Amino acid sequence: MTDQASLERGYRRLLACYPRAFRRQNGQEILAVLMACAPDGQRRPGLAESADLISSGLRMRLHPSVPRSARTVRAAVRLMYAGAAVSTANLIILLAYIGDIKAYDAVYAVLGRRLTAAQVSLLSHLNSQLNTALITQAVVLALVPVAVWLWMARANGQGRNWARSLSTVLFGLATLDLTGVYRTPGIQLEFVPTMLGATFPVLTWLAGLAVVWLLWRPASSAFFKPQGSTQARHSPQQPSRIRSPHALPPRSF
Amino acid sequence: MQEATFMILTALASGSQHGYGIITDVQEISGGLLRLRPGTLYTALDRLRADELIGVDREEIVDGRLRRYYRLTPAGASRLGAEADRLQAHASAALTRLNLAAGTAT
Repeated sequence: MTDQASLERGYRRLLACYPRAFRRQNGQEILAVLMACAPDGQRRPGLAESADLISSGLRMRLHPSVPRSARTVRAAVRLMYAGAAVSTANLIILLAYIGDIKAYDAVYAVLGRRLTAAQVSLLSHLNSQLNTALITQAVVLALVPVAVWLWMARANGQGRNWARSLSTVLFGLATLDLTGVYRTPGIQLEFVPTMLGATFPVLTWLAGLAVVWLLWRPASSAFFKPQGSTQARHSPQQPSRIRSPHALPPRSF
Repeated sequence: MQEATFMILTALASGSQHGYGIITDVQEISGGLLRLRPGTLYTALDRLRADELIGVDREEIVDGRLRRYYRLTPAGASRLGAEADRLQAHASAALTRLNLAAGTAT
């Protein structure tokens, strides 16, 4: 394989980090620029260049560009990322508590006889709860809201109408969950302090309320297109003067 | 406005350019200090297109590869103008104060 062909293959592989719609639209073009920037004899993408392509591509996947004109949607998308951040903090605190209880176990081994009966019974109760299956379940359940926030941020940012409806439904479920009318299937870990246990749901619920309000503002509705034309922005814009005479065959990356 | 964005708009201010042209032009304008990487460039271009500050001028095929030329929209030109004014005001304020300080020191 020639140097050029192997370099191009390397770049094509890296371009897979970008969303497919963007790749279809701009992939050829970026590839041409990458090849033009590469010095002669380069066989594979450089480290800094690769990092730039990977981070730009992932950023675009995770955070689609919402036009400045759709300010309410931009605000809603930012709030959803904040929701994801709060849920991640929740997960981290959960892990820290699990770590703490595991440490108590070690403390008990050393100080066993010096602990009061109440402390011993609390520790053994907590430890009996903490089997691997339960920890795994708790962590997975804490990961779900993070994933849902990110998913909704992305889909709403891409102007998908179903995402707006689904966000609203999810918010409804969160409301029922918070008010205790309905409990989402899951487990409540007793050792997570009640203060945190109550703060996080309320915080994320408030974020959700603001998101739903923003998404249904009249200013947002122009951004949400009817289903089927959601890719409108990435479909080729009509070049104003010359249209290329020979259309490029679609190339798969 | 980020520096890369400002420089891309500046590169397009005098006429349409394609991606590689923007990179070399930005490097020249910045005196070799700012070398945009293609990934960064296209992320910025995507955002600028979404905001309708730039648009596609035309497409060409060169050596079997697609080359897309971008141009500034009127909205882009006015954003760039406003940003340039702001930066100029800040720069001249800085220089004025430095001169004042130099004046009082002597």
